[in-house]
Amino acid sequence: MTPTDELLFRLADDEYVIAERYTEWQIYAPTIESDLALANIAQDEFGHARLWYDLLEERGYEEKNLLWERAPEDFRHSTLCELAFEEGDWADPVVRSYLYDTAERLRLEALVDSSEPAIASRVGKVLSEEGYHREHAQSWLERLSEGESRERVQAALDRLFPHALSLFEPGENEREIVSEGLRTESLFDLREEWFEITIPYLESLGLSVPEPEEVERPEVRGRDGSHTADWFDLHESFTSTYHELGFDQPTRLRGEGA
Amino acid sequence: MIWEVFRQAKPGKYHTHCGNVHAPDREMAKLFAQIQHGRRMQTNSLWVVPQEEVSEVDSDEATFGGSTDKAYRWAMTYNRVDASFAAEVEQSEDEQREAAKAREEL
Repeated sequence: MTPTDELLFRLADDEYVIAERYTEWQIYAPTIESDLALANIAQDEFGHARLWYDLLEERGYEEKNLLWERAPEDFRHSTLCELAFEEGDWADPVVRSYLYDTAERLRLEALVDSSEPAIASRVGKVLSEEGYHREHAQSWLERLSEGESRERVQAALDRLFPHALSLFEPGENEREIVSEGLRTESLFDLREEWFEITIPYLESLGLSVPEPEEVERPEVRGRDGSHTADWFDLHESFTSTYHELGFDQPTRLRGEGA
Repeated sequence: MIWEVFRQAKPGKYHTHCGNVHAPDREMAKLFAQIQHGRRMQTNSLWVVPQEEVSEVDSDEATFGGSTDKAYRWAMTYNRVDASFAAEVEQSEDEQREAAKAREEL
């Protein structure tokens, strides 16, 4: 895989898989308003995934091999995106979205001046939708961190933080991605910046953040194709209709790409 | 808590009531209103107002417009008068038309 393709798969798979998870909250979120807001965020992330998958198609991949017929171990998303939610645990999507969207902004900002013009030209569109995602997550976090719900937020943070570190797990081509200027910052530097933003913020809410160097990391890292069991279940469920109906080609929405 | 939502489609237009959102406070009301009322319709600005801050007077307690014939209020008689008899009237009407057009273009 070329460095550009690796970079694109990381971007597209993260967005696609986290959106796939968010949609599970539809009709189950605490109120109709929070339901709509999260569904809207999921739609944004699907739109971003589409943007990056389209670019991969321009580079020679076929849609069915990008999603529906791609083996689950070929997906390159962070394990943070794939974890199943515990029933009714609203703190989880709130914490997950905060950790993810903060990293997402840093990553996108490091792509604004990408040496690959097709990437650089798409970043603006994506970034403009990310502001709402962070504001949404932070508004919830600030409210849930008061009173008895703080314990739930803390539990979600303890569970998700080790997986969030895999957002910054380098892939095979990390060195080339940086040296060729595809991304203008290394994952190591992005991770440092992410710590500088997320740790003080979460602590200001009275939460305790696990010490990054002392965190017990899951063996699976996502970026190398190793994933939690949750991912294999999710993959099975989102591809099952495609296989059941025996499509030769993925169906397309009317007007899509027109 | 219920917040009434008012949407303005374009700058310069009125904010018109478009529905409401449930939210615990002002900030969350603004966040939710963006999605619920500003996502699919053309929107330039939204107002959120606590429902209890809205005061109402309805037709049970007031006689809107009074109860006697006030057809003169419509002043239809003065519509489409040929203003060419007075240059200043014609000029003023031109100015008003220009101003109305400028407002439309905003």
